[in-house]
Amino acid sequence: MAAAVLGELPALPLHTAGKYVAGAYIVVFAIVLIYVVIMAIRLVRIERQLGELLAREHGPEPEELDARSAESTLA
Amino acid sequence: MQSSSRHPAGSPHTKPRRGGDFGSYGRGLPALSIATVVVITVTLALVFFYAPLEAEQGFLQKIFYVHVPLAIIALCGFVLGGVFGAVHLRTRDSRWDMRSYVAIHMSLIFAVAALITGSIWAKGSWGHWWVWSEPTLVSFLIVFLLYATYQPLRFAIEDPERQARYASVFAITAGAFVPMNFIAVRLSTAYLHPRVLGSTSNLPPRMAFTFLMSLFGMALLFATLCKYELTAKHARAQLRALRRQADARAGAHSSAGWAGGAQRRRPRSAAPTQLPATRMSARAAGRPGS
Repeated sequence: MAAAVLGELPALPLHTAGKYVAGAYIVVFAIVLIYVVIMAIRLVRIERQLGELLAREHGPEPEELDARSAESTLA
Repeated sequence: MQSSSRHPAGSPHTKPRRGGDFGSYGRGLPALSIATVVVITVTLALVFFYAPLEAEQGFLQKIFYVHVPLAIIALCGFVLGGVFGAVHLRTRDSRWDMRSYVAIHMSLIFAVAALITGSIWAKGSWGHWWVWSEPTLVSFLIVFLLYATYQPLRFAIEDPERQARYASVFAITAGAFVPMNFIAVRLSTAYLHPRVLGSTSNLPPRMAFTFLMSLFGMALLFATLCKYELTAKHARAQLRALRRQADARAGAHSSAGWAGGAQRRRPRSAAPTQLPATRMSARAAGRPGS
């Protein structure tokens, strides 16, 4: 089926103009890709910060930490 | 333009929305993303296998289907940023300032892509990467450079409210400049650049259809990327609000303990973010838009 469809499609005249057309479309694709990578980095950062916050929230209570630090100072 | 009676001075107004205090910018984002991918894929197929070859330029003319929609959407995005800026000045709602910022930010990216693809097309067609005697190219570059000053101007202002206000004024002024500039170029007679807007009826039907699909695909891409940006900024703002609450709680228990974390951890980006006004004002955060 796919081969039949491809067989019907006209051949692309990729001579001298081909590199310019390919270049233009690759630039746009690359810009979108860079944007997606930046968004991915931001997402990872948000996830990490959320993890830190959750760890803090579910970690030892502040009073407990104070008591621990007092003990260590006395020691 | 001011409506200070509606909103308390010194705090950005953020209306609570259904589904939570801060609403959700991510609603509909997966569907929009899928629609964008489908439309762009179909458009690419149309460009390369459906639209006929142009008689003079041949295969090189295929750049038209990516370059022109990019430029049109970038210019429309600049104008949209001005409209959002006007709404922000009118309502004092920080969400509109954020939308204005994101629209201009994304338009700048699209404008860079339009300039690069146009330069490639010029090289293939005219043999030069840039032609200074071409009014359309130079006017687009002027608009791009004008908007390139938006972010330095914005972040040179410390006070978040003044920053948002001045940025909105800039967005409106520059947004008005865009159509004026466009009309001025259209009125000039000594041009070489092919006319596109208003002449789609001159294109063969298959070319016109492909071009309109390209334009639609680019508009969808613009909307999707803006929505991604808004969602990310909103998520970061919510995270900061949560952290401030946690710091405040910890500070109540021990002033020397976790409260120091509030000073240590500063937002990395100076870009505007929507604030939960019910919990914390931008002034209290001590950073522009934080």
